[in-house]
Amino acid sequence: MALIEVADLHVRYGEIEALRGVSFAIDEGSVVTLLGSNGAGKSTSLRAISGLLAPQSGSIVYDGKSIAGLGPEAIVRLGIAHVPEGRRIFPGLTARENIMLGASNSRASRAAISREAEAMFALFPDIRPFADALGWKLSGGQQQMVALARGLMAKPRLLLLDEPSLGLAPVIVQAVFRIIEEIRKRGTTVLLVEQNARMALKVADWGFVLETGRLALGGAPDALWSDARIRDAYLGGPQAKASS
Amino acid sequence: MGNVLQLLFTGLGIGAVYALVALGFVLIFRATSVVNFAQGEFSMVAAYLMVVFAVDLGWPYWLSFLLAIGGMALLGAIFNLGVYYPLRNRSFLPVIISTIGASIFLSNTVLALYGPQPQVLPGWFDAPGVQLGPVYLDSQYLLIIAVTIVLVAFQYWFFEHTLLGKKLQATSQDKEMAALLGIPVATMIMITFVYSAVLGGIAGILVAPVLFVSIQMGSTIALKAFAATIIGGFGDVAGAIIGGLALGIIETFGAAYISVPFKDAFAFLVLILFLAFRPQGLFGERVAEKA
Amino acid sequence: MSVAPVATHRAPGFSRSLIGQCLYALAAVAAVAGAATVKTDGYVANILMQAVTYAIAVFGLSVVLGLCGQINLAQAGFFALGAYAVGLGTTDYNIPFFVCLAGGMAIAFVAGGLLGLSTLRLGGHYLAMVTISFQQILTVTLINAIGITHGPDGVSGIKRPDLFVSSQAYLALAVAILAITGYLVWRLANMRLGRAMRAVRDNEIAASAAGIDVYRTKVAAFAICALLGGLGGGLFAGGFAYISPDQFAFSDSIVLLTMALLGGIGSPVGAAIGTGLLILIPEWLRFLKSVPGLYLAIYGLAVILIVVFMSDGIWGFIARLFHRPVAALPPPVAPLALKPADSGAPAALEVRGLAKYFGGLKAVDGVDFTVRRGAVHALIGPNGSGKTTTLNVVSGLYRPTAGRILVDGVDVTALSAHRRTIAGLGRTFQNIRLFRSMTALENVVIGAERDGNVQVAHRRAALEARARAALDFVGLGARADEVVTRFSYGHQRLIEIARALAANPTVLLLDEPAAGLNSSEKKSLHDLLDKIAAQGLTILIIDHDMTLVAGVAERLTVLNFGRRIADGDTAGVLQHPDVVAAYLGVG
Repeated sequence: MALIEVADLHVRYGEIEALRGVSFAIDEGSVVTLLGSNGAGKSTSLRAISGLLAPQSGSIVYDGKSIAGLGPEAIVRLGIAHVPEGRRIFPGLTARENIMLGASNSRASRAAISREAEAMFALFPDIRPFADALGWKLSGGQQQMVALARGLMAKPRLLLLDEPSLGLAPVIVQAVFRIIEEIRKRGTTVLLVEQNARMALKVADWGFVLETGRLALGGAPDALWSDARIRDAYLGGPQAKASS
Repeated sequence: MGNVLQLLFTGLGIGAVYALVALGFVLIFRATSVVNFAQGEFSMVAAYLMVVFAVDLGWPYWLSFLLAIGGMALLGAIFNLGVYYPLRNRSFLPVIISTIGASIFLSNTVLALYGPQPQVLPGWFDAPGVQLGPVYLDSQYLLIIAVTIVLVAFQYWFFEHTLLGKKLQATSQDKEMAALLGIPVATMIMITFVYSAVLGGIAGILVAPVLFVSIQMGSTIALKAFAATIIGGFGDVAGAIIGGLALGIIETFGAAYISVPFKDAFAFLVLILFLAFRPQGLFGERVAEKA
Repeated sequence: MSVAPVATHRAPGFSRSLIGQCLYALAAVAAVAGAATVKTDGYVANILMQAVTYAIAVFGLSVVLGLCGQINLAQAGFFALGAYAVGLGTTDYNIPFFVCLAGGMAIAFVAGGLLGLSTLRLGGHYLAMVTISFQQILTVTLINAIGITHGPDGVSGIKRPDLFVSSQAYLALAVAILAITGYLVWRLANMRLGRAMRAVRDNEIAASAAGIDVYRTKVAAFAICALLGGLGGGLFAGGFAYISPDQFAFSDSIVLLTMALLGGIGSPVGAAIGTGLLILIPEWLRFLKSVPGLYLAIYGLAVILIVVFMSDGIWGFIARLFHRPVAALPPPVAPLALKPADSGAPAALEVRGLAKYFGGLKAVDGVDFTVRRGAVHALIGPNGSGKTTTLNVVSGLYRPTAGRILVDGVDVTALSAHRRTIAGLGRTFQNIRLFRSMTALENVVIGAERDGNVQVAHRRAALEARARAALDFVGLGARADEVVTRFSYGHQRLIEIARALAANPTVLLLDEPAAGLNSSEKKSLHDLLDKIAAQGLTILIIDHDMTLVAGVAERLTVLNFGRRIADGDTAGVLQHPDVVAAYLGVG
């Protein structure tokens, strides 16, 4: 059963046509990864779904409802949480406060939110020692954990993750992907945008490859990984110029 | 020595007023990146409202105060909708000019409605003051300092210990991210404007009995508050408060030891010096432009 | 016979046409003659006097704010400097009028330049505050330095020059000066300095990369603005014979600003219109002044409404209605001559031990590479690897934390961005940085007229010819006279490249030139890059499109986490296991 379905989506990012007719669907409970090199349109896809960008044409249907063109505040209330690229932790607030604000889409009491935040620390034990440290003081990996926890506080049915491994050391990347596994086990549907195709395909149930705004490939992780065309999408075709 | 203490007290008193106005100004800037050149007019309008309610209509002081503050809240909301909102996506220049236009509009509307004669607003207390050793503590100045302490404490509590305060801070730090979490950004900005107008209003009502209530009082206070925010570090809340107090003290001492008529110029001289040599102020971040 | 090309979305192109200039001269002469002969009653004469002197000051604002985009809220202060120079000079010191006027202008010019110095590190709000502070200090001084300025009493009995004592003659003098300054300001827009100002207004970073000394341009703009303010003020003093501090307060600076905004800060025509309207309208609505404050209250409201609804002002609005279509036949030009400098140094570009830290973040952490002369060399790496930062450090946008950069054997590490351009570095930007108010031709001319470009004589005809040649080179010669906003994204990118080429660079830095292009545009870009390389230019390119990169670049340097992980010929590097792992991920 498709939780979200995107059809023939055209999105402009400033003056650039970033998505030129992209269509895909995601089943509830699965982890789907959107791959491609930089500039392929991956982040744009997430921003269109979460409401930061309005599509020029095409449709986005979530749980049977059309959501294209709605604003981010409405969409997060429908159960779609977006953890954007670059973590974007509020620098002047503590880790705990950042996490608590993740529940801003609900009307829960402060006490209830506080309890849920505590529960988050159980899922992310590595950041518990830093709970009261200010955002800007946290390392990249810690910030990513806080951003994930904050995203989960919205109790999303669909979690949009934009390049969680960006700028992180390999060891931290492993930790992040273990958490994504854990999130999937808890039943949340995940749409994962990643440049690190290897890690993403290890955790995903399905993958799509974007190339300059269009869907170039789609398939099960193993099939994608062994498809020579995926290398082309990242490293160019076989016509490398001979040096003079 | 007694003279120095007296000047210190007076400087703190007037500095507290600058601090309150600076605070309102910094809050708006942090939430919207708008430099509100009409911030001083909030103080002036509130003072005139007090004159209307407490003096002309003769209503009780506390009632007049509440009504005046209520009026300021309303003014802040209208200001948000009429001046900031239509220009929220434009560059800084139209916004600066627009707030300057609002400042002129407000001060001259009051002038048109009320006339050019400066008004007198009595202080809260009938008793003129208290003599403490060599220092005479004027009652209104005491009130100013006391109210400022209460307001700063309230602000600290509000921002640090309530969820709404955290949401306001989040909006200031990253509007887009706040929206992604479901924080109603437009509402947060509205609250910021209303709160800043109320702060400015309280500052105006507090200082009015010490000066005359006049059309110009707003711009004089506001320009000094700008200087205070630069000194403290533009965009920094604690900096605004400390900058305000510091400026009040510098000005008072300057007037006493150097020259009275030129005391207004001190604020601007200090401002230019800071902008020339330390634009990030005492506490602010670097001001450099990035690619 | 070809028709002189006219730009779209600009004031009707009278600026350069002979017809326009003749019409202007005729109108000016008529105005001066009218002022000298037509008899008006004292009241009307006063209004005209005020309008004319204010208009000159507002011309100043159309230079600093309209052309250069810098805010100046102290114009009434400069007006005051000129007024008091004339006022005090003729009465207290018996100095002849024109000497005082010149002196006042000089004082204002210097003061304006000093104020402009503050733009070195400040812009936007801070600049607004500095100008307000300057204004306020001046007002306080005028009121309180009674010994010099007469304080609140003001200065009376100001004398006019002997030749122009009668109201009519003096008004004619003022109108003549208005006409001359108006003409000069009008022409300034298309002179090198004016173009530099417009470039700074449109995009400071691009202006710097094109070789413009941004700081000096801003200081010049302030100085000229102040000069005109002082001139207006001096004439004002002579015209009204009495001046006092309350005529030169902050609110008067605002009035001048509003006049500029209403008419349209883009041109002196707008300035004149705005001034005229805002002096005449209140006269027609004189009854508003009977209620103190009502007039200014409406004024304030008008400012808000103008800014919200009519940001180009009246003239900008009219100009947009009347834009003319572009003429079809551009003149033929010689092909673009690209002769990159060659000092004989082994490499065209050398980067040694480059590091750039942003606080704790080590964006670039010890990178070395060498770009051979005449080569096409690509710098690649996954997202966040430090390639863009490296490029920005090389081009001078950031100061390196450590390391050295050598262009054609010359150490440019300590040079600012615009000096590096003069040293032979050219660049384009990932998010296109064109001067959006200008035509393609003007954009490229700015590139061509950088200091030290020996490929072109610095005269207008030669510069335009070179610019057209550069646009021809990238295939856009036929559309040179269109405003850049009318070009597609891909074509705007080409204009940026043409701008860089017109400067005859030694090394061309291309920052993600393929970003946002579709496949046919990328193919054209590929061909263009080959064509540029064939001329002997050295190219350093950053891009994510590996097909393009592999197709044009002979050598690759690969970064990851701010460090170099591979360097060598393209085919080899792309198969290097570290590189594959960096892109596709480890795990």
